[in-house]
Amino acid sequence: MKRLLLPLALLFIATIASAGTVAKPIITENNASCEIGNYPAATLLLPYFEVDYRASSNTAVTTVFTVVNTSRSPQIARVTIWTDYGYPAMWFSCFLTGYDAQTFSLYEIIARGILPFTSSNYQRGTASAENSANGNFHSEIWCERAGGSLSMPMTERLQKILSTGKRDEPNCRVGGEHPNAIGYVTIDVVNSCGIDSPLDQSYWREVLLFDNVLTGDYEQINPDPTTGNYAGGSPLVHIRAVPDGGVAGSVAATALPYTFYDRYTPADAKKIDRRQPLPATFAARWIEGGHESFHTDFTIWREGVVGATKNECEYVRNATLPVNRSSVIRFDEQDNPSIVACGQETCAGTLPVVSATAAGGGSLFPPLASSNDVGGWMWLGLDNRVPGSTASAYSTPRPSQNWVTVQMYAEGRYAVDFDATALANGCTAPPATPSIVAKTPDKQ
Amino acid sequence: MTIENAASCDISTTPSATLLLPYFEVELGKRVNDAANTIFTIINTSSNAQISRVTIWTDYGFPAAWFNIFMKPYDVQAISLWDVISLGRLPRTSNSGSTASNPHFIVTESCASAGGDLSPDMLASLQAMLTTGVRSADEATCHVGGAHPMAVGYVTVDVVNSCANISPLDIAYYSQIILFDNVLTGDYERINPDANTGNYAGGNPLVHIKAVPEGGAAGSGSTSLPYTFYDRFTPTGGRKIDRRQPLPSAFAARFIQGGTGKFQTDYAIWREAAAPASSACSTNNVSAMPISSIVRFDESENPMVGGATQSATTGGSIGLAALPSTAAPPTASSVFPPLSSQGVAGWMFLNLDNRAAGISVSGNNTYSSARPSQNWVIIHMRAEGRYGVDYDATTLANGCTPNGGAEVMQVPQPQVKKAVK
Repeated sequence: MKRLLLPLALLFIATIASAGTVAKPIITENNASCEIGNYPAATLLLPYFEVDYRASSNTAVTTVFTVVNTSRSPQIARVTIWTDYGYPAMWFSCFLTGYDAQTFSLYEIIARGILPFTSSNYQRGTASAENSANGNFHSEIWCERAGGSLSMPMTERLQKILSTGKRDEPNCRVGGEHPNAIGYVTIDVVNSCGIDSPLDQSYWREVLLFDNVLTGDYEQINPDPTTGNYAGGSPLVHIRAVPDGGVAGSVAATALPYTFYDRYTPADAKKIDRRQPLPATFAARWIEGGHESFHTDFTIWREGVVGATKNECEYVRNATLPVNRSSVIRFDEQDNPSIVACGQETCAGTLPVVSATAAGGGSLFPPLASSNDVGGWMWLGLDNRVPGSTASAYSTPRPSQNWVTVQMYAEGRYAVDFDATALANGCTAPPATPSIVAKTPDKQ
Repeated sequence: MTIENAASCDISTTPSATLLLPYFEVELGKRVNDAANTIFTIINTSSNAQISRVTIWTDYGFPAAWFNIFMKPYDVQAISLWDVISLGRLPRTSNSGSTASNPHFIVTESCASAGGDLSPDMLASLQAMLTTGVRSADEATCHVGGAHPMAVGYVTVDVVNSCANISPLDIAYYSQIILFDNVLTGDYERINPDANTGNYAGGNPLVHIKAVPEGGAAGSGSTSLPYTFYDRFTPTGGRKIDRRQPLPSAFAARFIQGGTGKFQTDYAIWREAAAPASSACSTNNVSAMPISSIVRFDESENPMVGGATQSATTGGSIGLAALPSTAAPPTASSVFPPLSSQGVAGWMFLNLDNRAAGISVSGNNTYSSARPSQNWVIIHMRAEGRYGVDYDATTLANGCTPNGGAEVMQVPQPQVKKAVK
């Protein structure tokens, strides 16, 4: 196209366009939207971890994550390790002096029972505020000795929960069975090193804080030359309190329609955590094959349907969270769509709360098109509300929350992790699934 | 607050109208299997056809090349920058035979054969700009980029209304071509296959910059953003006509340097240029733009300060770090404050606003208002010749609220070391 108008004319048009319309109101403040971005947050989510706790540290698959306190004030981080069925296997607190950074090796925790040891008696940095200088701390914080070593029986119990799902009830599972320890981790900013369970209402009413001060990242490391020899990393999912600030239990008005911890919060204060909800629909790229033999896994975190119950036998319901496969569409490089041809009654796949699923195979995702393409992307509608599913602990009829990380690897040396793209935020209705009829690819 | 999509200043990985690859590095003169390379992929998440304008900028922020990609609904396109810069091979796309449309397209005929191969002269010029900063022998003293062995720069991808060839330095690009549909997503992979210097890859989403509000024809609408991503380029009287979210200036970025795994960290830093769009050869303000403040916290929270800081006693500058529009300095370099103890890790507070030397709002109207400059930071970590990760640093405040992180800037100096815990 040739240039159509002279610059002066363009300038005139631009001026008219700018002055002649009314700007749609938008929010420019921090901590005032439902967008999940890399901003200091009140909760961090490690959506998936995997630890080969039986192997030596030099060869074991492991996940390492780091938490940074970006504020001058001290903070207390509550770390909770959840099973892949969404049961809190263990939790501990970490005292962070102002501007502190703390790295957590899940191999050290799960294989050796060594938790990071922190203390409110630690010397602070010269730029950091006093270790007591947090107005939202509880009057007694009990952080003189946070973390440390687990006993051998406790370590073995943790290993058993995270790899077999077996805890106290012999006939019930709180997690899946797999060779490696698998689960997810949440890190909350809290007011003390108390031991309240995240399944107790007191945790939400009396312990959880709202300061958006934490940031963090993870690295998933596979040192085994035969199965990996690479690492991938990404930011943790940063979930902000909206609005931020205030003491534990303070009920600030939030326009969030529901919250990240919706399933656990007290019935009379369902939004007391003020955490941003996560979305339901994602775009995730995949590569399978090619001359470098690329592979892609999607690590998927899904909100369970079981509420804050200590009944271990309930958690099996989180093992088979429905996936409506008609909401999962694979596009190849020629934008040929591939979708599972099924009626509503036969279209339900399942995934547990956390999983890492190969994008190229299995029954969950549509098959590769016959175009011989080795790459493309998938539309992933992960809302678990397929018809007939009524069992949930959600405060309102709404989409379930999810998060997707893309893991690509090749040649025993290349690996990348990155977040899939959320197609809408968690506060708005998920976008409609493209109306595509299953068909034979029309392009080769 | 708002719960709506595309209604805030927050940058998130959601479909956008502009994608930014903040830094690329391509090794010329080697085979593709041996060369350092950057590959990025863009996806049209919408049911409409879209046209993406890809612009390759030098590390001084000069547009070295641009081309268009016609994308059918739900299309995906991978672009190997080695193919583009080493071979001159642009992705070939076409709207011919496609029934897909877009109500905001104005001329689609020119998309019949978008991309293709560059002529030898054009390829040579592109390679020269990205490696020597010189456009041609006739302009040997005009540097539009830095000199470095690899081709270095950054890439923007805009959703546009036609396959017009108009320059991104022309105000008509912003008033007549650029669109506002938040439909694009993408990621990049940075590959270093050399067993001696790399043997790893890193990847990350592209920076997703939304149009706020979204939608409408080229040149339409207005926004209540205080300024926009393309502020430097937009026309007088329509400085916010691109409606793109501005990027922030203050970041938190973790580092590891040393230790048993011999970890190393680079920060890939994109910075908004401090020169007007029209001043291609006036590179003094672009090749070494000052940094306002850097504070390095080690594992014991010992702070060390760098950047354009002032002496508490004399008021004079005691350190002035500077970087161009895009670069990837190691955290062990002199750009950053030194480590203060035996520790090997920690994090840095980075206030990258380039106004430290008072160079921003000048008579030639670089920016539309007195404001912090825009920036982006990606952390590259690597170890043992096999582990590599890339991920975004944490933004301490969005680009609409310029005072984010000011608290950290009050760090006293000089610093006193303390015992490791």
